[in-house]
Amino acid sequence: MDQNIKKQIESIITRIDQLPPLPEVASKVINMVNNPDVSFKQVALEIPKNQAMTANILKLCNSAFFSKGKEITSIDRAIVTLGLKEVKDIVLLVAAKPVLDKAVIGYDLGQGDLWKQGLSVATMSRDIALGKKRKDIADVVFTGGIIHNVGKVVIALFVQQAFMNILDLVQSSGITFHEAEKSVLGFNHQEVGEKILEKWNFPPVLRSIVRFYQDPELAPAEHQFEVSIVHVANAICLMGGVGIGNDGLYHEMKDQAVKKVGLTQNELETLFGRTPDILKQIRDLQ
Amino acid sequence: MSDIISVGVAQIRYSSSPSVLRTILGSCVGICIYDRVKKIGGMAHVLLPVSQKTQVNPEKYADTAIPLLVRELLKEGAKKENMSAKITGGASMFKFGSNIALGQIGDRNIEQTKLELQKLGIPIVVEEVGGNLGRVIDFYLTDGHMKVKAGGQEKMYYKV
Repeated sequence: MDQNIKKQIESIITRIDQLPPLPEVASKVINMVNNPDVSFKQVALEIPKNQAMTANILKLCNSAFFSKGKEITSIDRAIVTLGLKEVKDIVLLVAAKPVLDKAVIGYDLGQGDLWKQGLSVATMSRDIALGKKRKDIADVVFTGGIIHNVGKVVIALFVQQAFMNILDLVQSSGITFHEAEKSVLGFNHQEVGEKILEKWNFPPVLRSIVRFYQDPELAPAEHQFEVSIVHVANAICLMGGVGIGNDGLYHEMKDQAVKKVGLTQNELETLFGRTPDILKQIRDLQ
Repeated sequence: MSDIISVGVAQIRYSSSPSVLRTILGSCVGICIYDRVKKIGGMAHVLLPVSQKTQVNPEKYADTAIPLLVRELLKEGAKKENMSAKITGGASMFKFGSNIALGQIGDRNIEQTKLELQKLGIPIVVEEVGGNLGRVIDFYLTDGHMKVKAGGQEKMYYKV
């Protein structure tokens, strides 16, 4: 392990101001939606405080991806027409885009690639949840899908310095890329991602998704279903070449996760076959 | 700068010199077919090996996309005897559960691609397939050479 790199990463993740920021309204809304004591009126009052975001939120409410036909011209209308959870997802999309929509050089991802991968994983995760009659968690896995990779934006610089060492270790020891990341850098992008979500004050289930999406069996039992969905969706999107970086397919798709979600072989292949449709769907979110 | 045409998942694109056809592959297979006399060529980016009757997009499957691409190239004036193919992609997930058949989809795509090209009598001059890396492919229609970028390294294939 490179001690120098480990120290640098440590100093970044222990100093909150070094991690990417998120507009306050996003964390507020995410936690409000999870709190049964909060009324939709309170959320409707909170969002417009950030005027710059509100314009973009309304634009997305009227995109082909989210629109229900009727034009939406206010946050009040958005919540009534689309529902609170859907509006929360849209707030997060608008807030997270500036963090995720950039080139991630260490992973050889061009501008927009990481964002596109997050959107694809989010959309596929939502489809899986709905297919398994779990509408109640569709919004959670959608949000988790968008941000599952967020740690990469911070750790990329170090991955770039140590890329050949990481890849050599993968190929000589037969371990996955994120295991080699941990071994060479002292941290992997999931751990860094978890720190970012702590800073953003995100709820536990989302932290679990970011921390364990490569190892869903290690997630707390109450989050394993959600984490497993994002695990499967991420693997399938990468196989489809969506947002595939220089770490390629040096990852794992696990039996336990597939079993946990209850996906058959046919369903897996159907999901993979849906990749082009998902790419079409997310076009107006890019 | 030559004109770069992006080939999406489950798409066929064809053009002539000096265009460049570009795609990104994981477990999908990219099939680059070139007529060295006419200097026209095309690429198919297939996701799955064999089409189901209920499916509608023929560009998605090796068994329908490859014959379709060849038909389109013939319409453009290419001749079968001047055509050759380079195939690439078909990577696999590094590790996958023993119950996950989708883990072999890359290999199945490669196998079906070879079968289709053999049926059509088009020789495969370059095979850069399998493994666990993603690939960015640039297929240059000036002379039919192909650039493959994988794991931060570039390789060139000139045979046509």
